[in-house]
Amino acid sequence: MVLSFFKKGESPLERISHETVLMLGDARHSFDLASTALLAGADASAVSSDIRATDDRINAAEQRLRSELVVHIAVHGGDDIGVVMGYTLLLKKIERIGDQAKNILDLAEDGISLSDAPDVDEFLMRRQTISQMYVDAADILVSLDVDDARQFLDRSMEMNRECEQKIHEYMRSDEPGHWAVPRAVLHRYWKRIVANLAGIVTSAIEPIQTLDYSDNGSTDIVDD
Amino acid sequence: MSSTNTFTLPRWFRGLLVLAIIYLFLVGVSSLESGIKVMGADTQERLFSSVSNPIVGLFIGVVGTVLVQSSSASTSLIVGLVASGALGLDQAVPMIMGANIGTTVTNTLVSLGHVRQSQEFRRALSAATVHDFFNLMAVTILLPFELLTGRISWLASRTAEILTGSGGSEWKSPIKAWVKHPVGWLKDGLKQASLEETSLGVSMVVIGILVVVVALIAVTKNMKALIAERLEASMNRVLGRGGGLVAMVIGMLVTISVQSSSITTSILIPMAAAGVISLRNIYPVTLGANVGTTITALLAALAASGSDALTIALVHTWFNVLGIVVLYGIPFLRPLPIRCAELLAELAVKRRSLAVGWVVSVFVIIPLLVIAIFR
Repeated sequence: MVLSFFKKGESPLERISHETVLMLGDARHSFDLASTALLAGADASAVSSDIRATDDRINAAEQRLRSELVVHIAVHGGDDIGVVMGYTLLLKKIERIGDQAKNILDLAEDGISLSDAPDVDEFLMRRQTISQMYVDAADILVSLDVDDARQFLDRSMEMNRECEQKIHEYMRSDEPGHWAVPRAVLHRYWKRIVANLAGIVTSAIEPIQTLDYSDNGSTDIVDD
Repeated sequence: MSSTNTFTLPRWFRGLLVLAIIYLFLVGVSSLESGIKVMGADTQERLFSSVSNPIVGLFIGVVGTVLVQSSSASTSLIVGLVASGALGLDQAVPMIMGANIGTTVTNTLVSLGHVRQSQEFRRALSAATVHDFFNLMAVTILLPFELLTGRISWLASRTAEILTGSGGSEWKSPIKAWVKHPVGWLKDGLKQASLEETSLGVSMVVIGILVVVVALIAVTKNMKALIAERLEASMNRVLGRGGGLVAMVIGMLVTISVQSSSITTSILIPMAAAGVISLRNIYPVTLGANVGTTITALLAALAASGSDALTIALVHTWFNVLGIVVLYGIPFLRPLPIRCAELLAELAVKRRSLAVGWVVSVFVIIPLLVIAIFR
C-alpha cells in the first residue's frame, strides 16, 4: 500500500470518472430489476434486497467520491473547481436515479403488476429504450463526445415529451383510478429518470453555470 | 468532464528543474557557511553569544522559523551555522527543537481562514493545533531530557559516525566538492567589489540565506506540481484506510517529496474543515510529516563541512522519531495532543479571538518576551 506511492496509476480525476460510470451501471441494474418486478411479473420481494444493496453501494460511492473531490481541491487548489462542482452535481443525479429505481420497486411492492396488461408491450419497449439510455449516457461520460451528447439530449427530450403526453392521457382517462394511476406514476418516474440522465450528459459538455438551465435561464431539466 | 487546460511544464523538465534548484540550495548552505567563516571569530562570538542559554535558543528557533514559515529553511540555516563553527552543537539543539514548534504556525494560520463557519472552524482549528500541541509536548519532554542527559545528541553523533564511517570531524562530504566552485566564484565576485572581510562575510551570509529560502520555496512548488496526483491518491488512501502507521508513513513520504511539512499539514486543513477526514486520522499524518521534514536538514548537511553538521541534522530526525515513540507509543499519552486540540477548538468556536490569541502568543509574543528577558 505504501509502495503504491511510488507507482504511477490512473489520475484521481480519471478514477472518479471511472467510478461514476460504474455507479451508472449499478443504477441501470436497479432500474432493470425494478422494471422486471413491475412489468415482467418477477417477485418484488426477491429483487428488493438486490436493489436496496445496489442503492446502498451507489450511496456509499457518492459519499466516498465527494470526499475525494474535496481532497482534489485541497491538493490542487482552485484549478479544477468547475470540474469538481460538475462532478458533485453529476454524483447527486446518479444517486437520484438510483432512488427512482426504488420508487418503481415500491409500485411493485404495493402489489401493482402490469405484466398481464394489454399495453405491456408498449411499456416494455419504453423500458428497453430507457435502459439503453443508461449505457449511452455512460459512454458519453467516457468519450465526452459533444455530437453524441447533443443527439442523446434530443432523444431524452423526445422521450420526456412522450412520457408527458402519456401522463396527460392517463390523468384524463375514463378508466378507473387503479388502472390509470400506476401508469401515470410509472411514466412520471421514467420522465424523472430520463431528465436526470440528460442532466448527467449535460454535465459532461456544459460549463457549470449553465448546467440544468436553458439559454433563457429557465429550468431546462425537470428532475425534482 | 476533464480538468482545466492550463500550461504545464513537462514532467522530465520539472524533474531536472528540481535537481537544479536542489543544487542551488546546497550552494546557498555552503555560501552561508563560508560567509560565517569569513566574518572571523570576534563577529561570530558577538552574534551568537546570546544563544548559549538553551531557552533563548529554543525561542530563537521558534521565531526564526515563524519568520521564514519553513522549518526546512531554518534547520538548513542552523546546519550551515553549525558547519561554520559559529554555533556549537549544544547551542543548536534547542534551536532545532524550536524550529519544530515554529513550523506549525503555517497550518494554524490556514485554519483561521475557516473562522466564519463554526463547525468548519472547530474541525480545522483542532486539525491544525494537534500539530502545535504534539510539538510543544515533545519539546517539553525531550528538551529537559536532552539538557540533563545529552542522549539525543549522543544518538545523533553515533548515527553520524555509522553513516560517514568516521569517528570525527575529518569527514568530508562528497557533495561539498560539487558546490565548492560556485561559492568560490561568489566570493571572488564580492571581493572584486573591494568589500572588507566582515562585509564580505555578511554579504555571503545574506546571499546564502536568500538562496536557501528561495530555493526551498521553488523546490516545494515544483515537487508539489510533480507529485500532485500521487499526493492526492495518498490522501485518498489515508481517507480509505484511516490513521495508524500507514498514515504516518504516507505523511513522511509526502513531506520528503515536497520538502515541506507545512504543505502536507496545510493540505489536511480544508479536508478536515469539510469533515472528510477525522482528527484521529490527521494526527499520525502530521507525525509522519514531522519526520519527513528532517530530510532537508540532512540534505543541507551533505553540502556542509565536518560531522557536526550531519550530527545536528540527525538530532532533528532523532528528536522527531523519539517524540513519536514517547507521545504516540505510550498509550496514555497518545490522545493528549488530540484532547488539547479539541479543547482549544471548542473554546475558540465560542470566542474566536482565542484562536488569534493562541497564534500571536505562542508563536510571537511569548518567544520574543523570553528572548528579551533571558538574553
